[in-house]
Amino acid sequence: MDLDFYDANLYFGRPTREVYNPARDASELLRRLDGYGVHQALAYHVAERDVSPVAGNAMTSREIAGHDRLWGCWTILPPQTREVVQQGAEFFAQMKQQRIIALRAFPGLHNYLLQRTVFGKWLDEVSERQIPVLLSIEHGVSWPVAYSLLTDYPLLTCVLCDIGIWGVDRYTWPLLEQYPNVYLETSLVALEDGGMEAIVRRYGADRLLFGSGFPDRYPESAILQLLHADITLDDRRRIAGGNLKRLAEQVQY
Amino acid sequence: MHQPNLKEAFYALGRVPDCPVYDLHAHMGSYLGISFPRAEAPDMINAMDRAGVRLLVFCHHHTLHSPDIGNAVNVEAVRSYPDRLRAYCGINPNYPDVIAHDLDAFDQYPDVYVGLKMLADYHAYALTDERYRPAWEFAERRKLLVLIHTWGHSLYDGPEVVRKVAERYPRTTILMGHSCHGEWDKAVALVKDFPNVYFELCAVLDERGVLEKFVGETGSERIVFGTDLPWFNHHYYIGSVLGADINDEDRHNILHRNAERLLVRYL
Ligand SMILES: [Zn+2]
Repeated sequence: MDLDFYDANLYFGRPTREVYNPARDASELLRRLDGYGVHQALAYHVAERDVSPVAGNAMTSREIAGHDRLWGCWTILPPQTREVVQQGAEFFAQMKQQRIIALRAFPGLHNYLLQRTVFGKWLDEVSERQIPVLLSIEHGVSWPVAYSLLTDYPLLTCVLCDIGIWGVDRYTWPLLEQYPNVYLETSLVALEDGGMEAIVRRYGADRLLFGSGFPDRYPESAILQLLHADITLDDRRRIAGGNLKRLAEQVQY
Repeated sequence: MHQPNLKEAFYALGRVPDCPVYDLHAHMGSYLGISFPRAEAPDMINAMDRAGVRLLVFCHHHTLHSPDIGNAVNVEAVRSYPDRLRAYCGINPNYPDVIAHDLDAFDQYPDVYVGLKMLADYHAYALTDERYRPAWEFAERRKLLVLIHTWGHSLYDGPEVVRKVAERYPRTTILMGHSCHGEWDKAVALVKDFPNVYFELCAVLDERGVLEKFVGETGSERIVFGTDLPWFNHHYYIGSVLGADINDEDRHNILHRNAERLLVRYL
């Protein structure tokens, strides 16, 4: 394969509701990734989503420690309750130390509003530090929620993941047009016939990040689509991993 | 020398000459709920070429949603690409007069049609409704393929409804579009109970584990491949078939052999 895959969207651990043959821990995940031909990944323990961010974030950090091909993301909660988010530089220093390069939010599942009223200046700081925030449209983030978050924080580095099995260009294209730091993860962009090619023509290849959706989806699906997408090799390389590498490097802890 | 397996071959080339793909569930044309980058016949043929899709059997969106447009668009598209396309004659039970007319005309198009397409969830009549009966009886007399949209828990085309038509029309080959999505065990029971019922994989393959269940419980000879093109990308779903825990013989059955057997009298 002439692409170096860096997966932006997968998890390890067993979810509350059974899925087919997940990777139970980070070591198992790495063995699976080798089989798929994926070199490195931005991963999280699904307990962040299904149990609680407090327990799950610690599990993610513990599991990825010592695996230099895995990077982590933590799940945030409103700063007021101080369960996860603490004001001040220490939170970001901890992220750096534990190789956490992005954040996730599941406002629908975790019962809060993803808005300025709740996050205030803290998400301004996340924007300034260029820390990517990943939102899953299949898991607890509706389109109006994504739109209102970006109205409040227009410079946020925001990655929309799991965008749904129906093509959603009518939802995503206005965001790509309006907000320079919005990205789409490809595990379901790849499902829409011609969707990736149309986005690249219109907004360039820099706005797409390869993701597999493992273990919910087959990594071979998004991989085979990208290998043979009707775009240049350079564009395919950027989508496969170059763009995420760039985003990770520009984070300011 | 290492003989590449199907996954390596598709990864390397995108299409594999000894594994041509037959897509038995497709559409064409613009549609209300979605913007399609490649919805017209020339673009679809192009997409087929990239993935080695030998033949695509479709029913145009406009046929299914407007009696004022009807089946003419299917005929026109197939006759523009006679080597690559076949159509299902679209049946909308809201318009019995249109159905009567289309069934009367059916035999004029042996080069176009391989059977009928029913979209009960969207047309809001159960597959067992009286309004569908002339179409089912027509298919039964001619032993046609009938592609039905099916969905778990639907009162129009869920597994209990499919069971009734499968029983009533044993000579008709019933392709369960989307395989009763979500009620996978009931879809398995239908394929086990009725030799005329097949799984179809569109909107099934974006979830890991379901294809493994189908093959594990019923083998791979009663499964056909479909994408809803222009909705879903061929490579994406072929990748799912390659990624599933099944073997290359199963993959050949699913991607082409089963379809070749079903279509032999039409090609
Ligand atoms: Zn369909």
